[in-house]
Amino acid sequence: MQDLWPQATGKIMSTLEQLQSDFIAMLQGHNTSFTDHIAQQTGLSPGQRSEIYQNAYQIRLKKVLEQDHEMLGLYLGDELFDQMAESYLALFPSQSSSLREYGERLPDFLSAHTPFKEHGILSEMALFERLLLRAFDAADGKLLELAHLQSIEQKAWPNIVLQLHHSVHILTCKYSAVESWQALKNSTSPPPPELNNTQYWIIARARDKRTGFYPLSECHFQCLMSIKQGLPFGFICEAAAHVTGDQQQGTLEVMQLLQQGIELGWFLQSSAMQ
Amino acid sequence: MNSTSPPYVGFGLGLRTCYFEEIIATNPKVDWFEIISENYFVAGGKPWHYLSQIKERYPIVMHGVSMSIGSTSDVNFDYLDKLKQTIDRVQPLWISDHLCFSSLGDFNSHDLLPMPYTEESLTHLSQRLSIVQDYLERPLILENVSSYLTYQASEMNEWTFLAELHNRTGCQFLLDINNIYVSARNHQFDPNEFLDAIPSSAIAQIHLAGHSDFGSHVIDTHDQPVCDAVWELFLKFANSHTPVNTMIERDDNFPDFKEIMAELTHARSLAPSNWKNYEYA
Repeated sequence: MQDLWPQATGKIMSTLEQLQSDFIAMLQGHNTSFTDHIAQQTGLSPGQRSEIYQNAYQIRLKKVLEQDHEMLGLYLGDELFDQMAESYLALFPSQSSSLREYGERLPDFLSAHTPFKEHGILSEMALFERLLLRAFDAADGKLLELAHLQSIEQKAWPNIVLQLHHSVHILTCKYSAVESWQALKNSTSPPPPELNNTQYWIIARARDKRTGFYPLSECHFQCLMSIKQGLPFGFICEAAAHVTGDQQQGTLEVMQLLQQGIELGWFLQSSAMQ
Repeated sequence: MNSTSPPYVGFGLGLRTCYFEEIIATNPKVDWFEIISENYFVAGGKPWHYLSQIKERYPIVMHGVSMSIGSTSDVNFDYLDKLKQTIDRVQPLWISDHLCFSSLGDFNSHDLLPMPYTEESLTHLSQRLSIVQDYLERPLILENVSSYLTYQASEMNEWTFLAELHNRTGCQFLLDINNIYVSARNHQFDPNEFLDAIPSSAIAQIHLAGHSDFGSHVIDTHDQPVCDAVWELFLKFANSHTPVNTMIERDDNFPDFKEIMAELTHARSLAPSNWKNYEYA
């Protein structure tokens, strides 16, 4: 974390510090006297010259939100999306050297500010798009293979600990955020936002590096959450049995999850398994 | 830390994600690629998957957009640490960033904001350059930025400022000829005067790019083909200088890869014969 601006620390500013402070304040719409720093030239006025930078700042960050939240933009429509982007920019100027992180607080913003907070699907859809981005460039790792599991002795199974790939994210939806995202991606009308039941999703990067997402049953959701907590295989089977109400059925569900997860690259070759 | 000139490696392209698969599939006749450093401040996934394949076949250089070396805030060592880790992983031939400020305190404008051309800025940049180069343990090449304003406080023009910075620190520059043209149009100076004022020993790399012309002013968008006026400046430059690493840079509105390759071929064709002898094999 860098220090506060010199102004905030009471230190006397140098000419360069003052100029940079005024420039940044102008970009954020806080300081109209920045034009005093600009030399008169033929052609554009100092005001027009500073506006070029101010406009570029706003356009650049809005474009990041448009690119990272394309389906949310379609769902909202141009007018509401512009309103959202302007409000977000005013509240959350970028603090990261990477534009990739600029929209990280968008889901929280949408769930806390009118008129967006009245529509829970917006925050969920924004979060879903953030998770897709996080999965896209998450760390690589050596993937768990079926042969590796088959080599484990039967008596060791209850204590093995599975490890999720760094790209794996689990999403719980109260609204049809993912279904609506899919519909918009396919240029069709989104379904009603309300769901009859909570829906669970896994977002992960597949073996071919493509980011994908899949619906999860409640049983598989509970298993994955147990794996995420670092619980051993025996506990995962118990969690599955608790959901299904049957020990044998629970174990079967876990094995199905393992098979699907290995095929799709959801698990790492955990050190705890070696 | 004194600068060391990078090797002359010929004609390169800015590596952009939309061209990854075509480059891997076709092995185009490109001498080297330049990556945006910050795009690889991520742990893994497709960016690294593709870059690792491309860097097996081509030399890579790194070009940053967020160092904000001219900022009067404390040096951002978190950023430098990420950059250093990426350098270690990529092993680029050289690294560059922009002569500007982008951030102040916690605020990041994500723009390349011009410095005032003053003695204070020269002193500040000289100190910053020393800190950064010592931390990274390698020279940092600085690119001139486009600008739309000049400051009341400026005590010299941009090219005098650059030449003096080179004189004091030994730093080298990545001259973006498009940026020079854009600034020349916006401030009504002769771009040749700029190019003539920078000592050959101070020039490590050239960028050629496009812009958007609004008549009353020009905006550096890097989303258009290189314009005739910039080609003419490059032609004149190439015929009066020893070989300089030259690159086509496109940042948006990406055309078919063959169009970018056509621009690169055109750049090669304008350069004199001694620009075709590369040190790097």
